[in-house]
Amino acid sequence: MNAENDSICRFTFKERLIHWAVGILFVYLLLTGLALFSPHLYWLAFVLGGGTTIVRWHPIVGLVFFGTLAWMFLMWIRDMRFDSRDIDWLRQVGKYIRNQDKGIPEVGRFNPGQKQLFWLQTISGILLILSGIPLWFPSFFPQGLRLASILVHEVSALVAIGGLIVHVYMGVAFVSGSLPAMIHGTVSRVWARTHHPRWYREKEGQTRNSD
Amino acid sequence: MATDSLQVKAISATSSAPPGIQEQPTLAKLIDVSTCIGCKACEVACQEWNDLVASENVPFFGSYQTLPDLDANFWNLIKFNEVEHDDHLMWNMTKYQCMHCTDPGCLIACPAPGAIVQFVNGIVDFDQDQCIGCGLCITGCPFDVPRVSTATGKVYKCTMCSDRVGAGLEPACIKACPTNCLHFGTKEQLVQIGNARVSDLNEEGYKNASLYDPEGVGGTQVVYVLPHGDRPQDYGLPENPQLSLAVILWKKPLKWLGGIMMAGGIFAAFTHYLCYGRKDLNEAEPALKEEQSGQENL
Repeated sequence: MNAENDSICRFTFKERLIHWAVGILFVYLLLTGLALFSPHLYWLAFVLGGGTTIVRWHPIVGLVFFGTLAWMFLMWIRDMRFDSRDIDWLRQVGKYIRNQDKGIPEVGRFNPGQKQLFWLQTISGILLILSGIPLWFPSFFPQGLRLASILVHEVSALVAIGGLIVHVYMGVAFVSGSLPAMIHGTVSRVWARTHHPRWYREKEGQTRNSD
Repeated sequence: MATDSLQVKAISATSSAPPGIQEQPTLAKLIDVSTCIGCKACEVACQEWNDLVASENVPFFGSYQTLPDLDANFWNLIKFNEVEHDDHLMWNMTKYQCMHCTDPGCLIACPAPGAIVQFVNGIVDFDQDQCIGCGLCITGCPFDVPRVSTATGKVYKCTMCSDRVGAGLEPACIKACPTNCLHFGTKEQLVQIGNARVSDLNEEGYKNASLYDPEGVGGTQVVYVLPHGDRPQDYGLPENPQLSLAVILWKKPLKWLGGIMMAGGIFAAFTHYLCYGRKDLNEAEPALKEEQSGQENL
């Protein structure tokens, strides 16, 4: 572990890099998508280089985004599997939301809420790319499929945006220390023990074994 | 795009009210399929007036038709539909172009402000300067009319010669028609002429002759007299074109729901923070069993 022995590695460099690649590409897709979503937000198109530019880049960036999303999926899927203890936590999620954490089950590396977000964004990412391709090349797909794609693209984008709002709020404000963890990669021992006690014990066990 | 003499009734992706304030009669084309001889004069007139050069070297595809389909530089096509029905072979020559719908699916679907306009007189026109080439109008169109140009990336279609109409002239195709199969005038007049022609055809034995002015798109500013009106697909026309439910859902309730959801989500996050604050680190928590062995004294 770390030399000073008071911080723990939460996210490796690779994890942080992929996470932020996904995040930054998502924000570009979000802003360009919103410009086309509503005339009230079309000014975003001008800010980002004009309507023609965003129409050209939105699908290309979408492909790259999907690639990084798939990479993130493979990287984290092991830690994102639900187990039986998660059900108990989810049953008491109201307490977690109300910031009364006493007595709620201890969680591992990711809590079940984070796992839900992971699967939600994976599924919406898949739906977005599947529905995006017919809209990218309209002349190669039947109209019925393109019309369905419009609805699927819009609904799954809105779901993903909902997920993003919750994620950013949790990471930046509610669970303080999460954002620095995703930037610097490390958390304090007390942070780890507070928010992810089972993961903390695993980490400690590893440390001890390697000592 | 047309001249100022055309009043604007609807503009794509624009929330402010369209500026058209003058009353103007709805103008339309009537295509009497029963008197079309397939001479293609309307095709030539369209190409000439609009200064369009059609693609060369299109391979022969076994039809008398000029091109297999409409194109970004070919806005008016006579379809030579060969249809077998009750042991008869019919060769249905049907002029095909933008229908200038009263409820234009292209305009409703378009996300680029001002790229598609509808004039008070019913003409639906594209402004390529504003077009961003996304192709959503193609998906919104129930008649599969708009075409993307590979050269410019913009979308093109029949303008109903809005430039000519704005100057008080009839569209070029109408001017060129040698059989009077094509008529131009107010929609009201043309529906009368069309209905009279339909009753003539009924008397001649075409019992199912009818006027094609589909209600699913609020009516069109291009109406057809079809000798076999019960089978519009035999003329290459959709049987029951509709302004798609998907387009309506997407542009109305989903837009509202999405906006409320995003604003509400951000509002809820702020409120939550003010109400519950952030999660504190639990420094006082008794050390976990495993680590009581020492290592640290937090």
